[in-house]
Amino acid sequence: MSVRGMAERHGARAVAGVVALLVVGALITTLTDISVRNLITVGYVNRSLEMAAPIVLVALGGLYAEKSGVFNIGLEGFMIIGAFVTAATMFLLGGTSPSQAHIWLAILVAVVVTSLFTAVFAVLLIRYQADQIVAGLGVWFVALGFAPFGAALIWGSRSSPGLTNIANLTVPGLAELPVVGSILFDQSPLVWLAAAFVGGAWVVLYRTRFGYWVQAAGENPEALDTAGVNVTRVRYVSVIFSGAMAGLAGGVLMAHAGNFIGIGQTMVNGRGWLGIVAYLFGNYNPVGAAAAGLLFGGLDMLNVQFQTVGVNISSRLVNLFPYVIVIAVLTLWGKTRSPAALGEPYESED
Amino acid sequence: MSAPDADSGGGSDPRFVERAAARMLDASVLERIAIAAGAVASALLIGLIVVGLAGYDPFGFAGDLLIGAFGSVGALARTLRFATLFILTGVAVAIAFRAGVFNIGVQGQFIVGGITGVMSIIWAAPYLPTGPLGGFLLIVVGSLAAIVLGGLYAALPGVLKAYGGANEIITTIMLNFVATGVVGWLVAGAFGAEGATATRTERIPDYVSFPSVVFSSPDFSMIAFALMLAVVAVVAVVMTRTSFGYDMVTSGHQESAAGYSGVDAKRMIVSSMTFSGMVAGLTGAVFVIMIQGYYTDPTGVGNYGFDAIAISLLAANNPVGVVPAGLLFGALESAGSYITIRTDVPVQLIDGIVGLVVLFVSVPELFRAFAKRTGLGGEER
Repeated sequence: MSVRGMAERHGARAVAGVVALLVVGALITTLTDISVRNLITVGYVNRSLEMAAPIVLVALGGLYAEKSGVFNIGLEGFMIIGAFVTAATMFLLGGTSPSQAHIWLAILVAVVVTSLFTAVFAVLLIRYQADQIVAGLGVWFVALGFAPFGAALIWGSRSSPGLTNIANLTVPGLAELPVVGSILFDQSPLVWLAAAFVGGAWVVLYRTRFGYWVQAAGENPEALDTAGVNVTRVRYVSVIFSGAMAGLAGGVLMAHAGNFIGIGQTMVNGRGWLGIVAYLFGNYNPVGAAAAGLLFGGLDMLNVQFQTVGVNISSRLVNLFPYVIVIAVLTLWGKTRSPAALGEPYESED
Repeated sequence: MSAPDADSGGGSDPRFVERAAARMLDASVLERIAIAAGAVASALLIGLIVVGLAGYDPFGFAGDLLIGAFGSVGALARTLRFATLFILTGVAVAIAFRAGVFNIGVQGQFIVGGITGVMSIIWAAPYLPTGPLGGFLLIVVGSLAAIVLGGLYAALPGVLKAYGGANEIITTIMLNFVATGVVGWLVAGAFGAEGATATRTERIPDYVSFPSVVFSSPDFSMIAFALMLAVVAVVAVVMTRTSFGYDMVTSGHQESAAGYSGVDAKRMIVSSMTFSGMVAGLTGAVFVIMIQGYYTDPTGVGNYGFDAIAISLLAANNPVGVVPAGLLFGALESAGSYITIRTDVPVQLIDGIVGLVVLFVSVPELFRAFAKRTGLGGEER
């Protein structure tokens, strides 16, 4: 079976998942006597897209790393670093009222900083053959410690004061259209950025030479080496890309939220892990991963909807929906085929 | 092109776990100790550099760490109190890791054990006598209930992995979030104490506590410390001297070999997860009986289950090795309590240092390369 055929077949599973969610949603609404019209509002779609964007971005990065044969389990940690660096840079540039330009610059700084950290991490994984699971957990713990530490140094508390949210990209006139106007023409530019990355990641992975190298590095590194391509270099690029994407995801999360939260599991609160599940669910296909990311984003935002339509269920419990769905997803569709050489250090013969 | 047996999700691929385990076991005992010492020293060094960069005095900070951990009788009792919990959760992690199962969910199982301990003691108290005998019986009831529920909560991801192929690293992390959320909801609602200003359950009766011996600290008892050592001994004996332990460790090292010798790998995954969760649940009960006396929102009960991963790895997943590693973490945590009160250095630094320890422990090659370059090879310190 060709790689692409398999990917497409499995990409359908993520779509099936979204359909399943809609069915469950319809069931809940009929049982509790609430119209779907009230539950699935334009505002809900917009909030879901905003929440899905970081999950999708981090999933795309993790997908490339794992395709190349390296399991980057540190994504949650790199996302925390990305969110913190974005917030800190925004604050250093513009105090408590940074401008839109400051936000973009801060996200860029976050991507650069997380890429540098990931480069060090990649050296530990690839050159020094670190245990990928343990090292990834280490990154998570390092970020859970040092990001709130940094926040405490800057703001005197583990969370930042209110900064600025990213402004929507509004097309005058078209934005007034019902439903699509708000979703398409009055949307966060970062949602569009994420959508562009999904398309780009799909094209690069399945339609370019580099994409085939990435796949070969994970499936059959010996063959790639024989073909004269440096396996190690392909893996370095993929892992550093995954870290950059996690940094971007953290920045996007921060820009949508408007302030950094460093208490408990920080504002990232498991979304890096959701990203990993998203690409597993989408069976390593960028489009499938994006569909799964949308599903998780939608689940994440159900809380607000339930409150507005007056469903009497504790927000503490509704917040757990994504995690419970992840467990169900992994159990029902957990049998993905991981790259053959995943986790295996490669040493060239020459 | 797809291998027939390659059907597991992500990193839970059995071959992947085998390789990871093999790399950890490559090292000799002396080498492991040297790597652990190197990892801790490097993490502390980076921590001190960060303290310096943040504008504080790193030497003063290092001194504060020592004073906070060992500087007085009170500090020592606090260190041993934290160490009791760290060693127990560390042993819970070690059981699973030795069996080749990545139980990252010890934190959640610890939370489930804690709330179970509190509620079962509160519910059973009216039916038992008060006084020392009642206290003893209630400790037994609370601990057993916590062991059972902790074990069941860990069995769940074990079953999902064994029979559903669900990657246990991710399911256990998700179950940590679920435990925190559900217990938080229970404490704020159904289990909440009436008239309490804070979100918490009722207190367990005063007579349910470990008697103070040697140290007069109300939150630490050498009896609990001794009990903890007994648990370590039992786990070590089970793992090295029984056929169950042998099968468990064998399937952890090499699933195929264990399969040939007639071990049911799927059942082994479930049993080792359950065993691991039982110890984690017991730790939850010790936490509420010895220290807390009630349950709060679980976001505030500490990171014992997460730090336990670092402790177990430092000890190369050996239950006996967990004792010194847990003492070290007890000292760090105790020093953290001290620096929170005495200095302005944000205490989250300690969490960062713990993370660095985990990161360094994962890269034995780094220390081998360092030893080779500096001519420290062979015995290494």
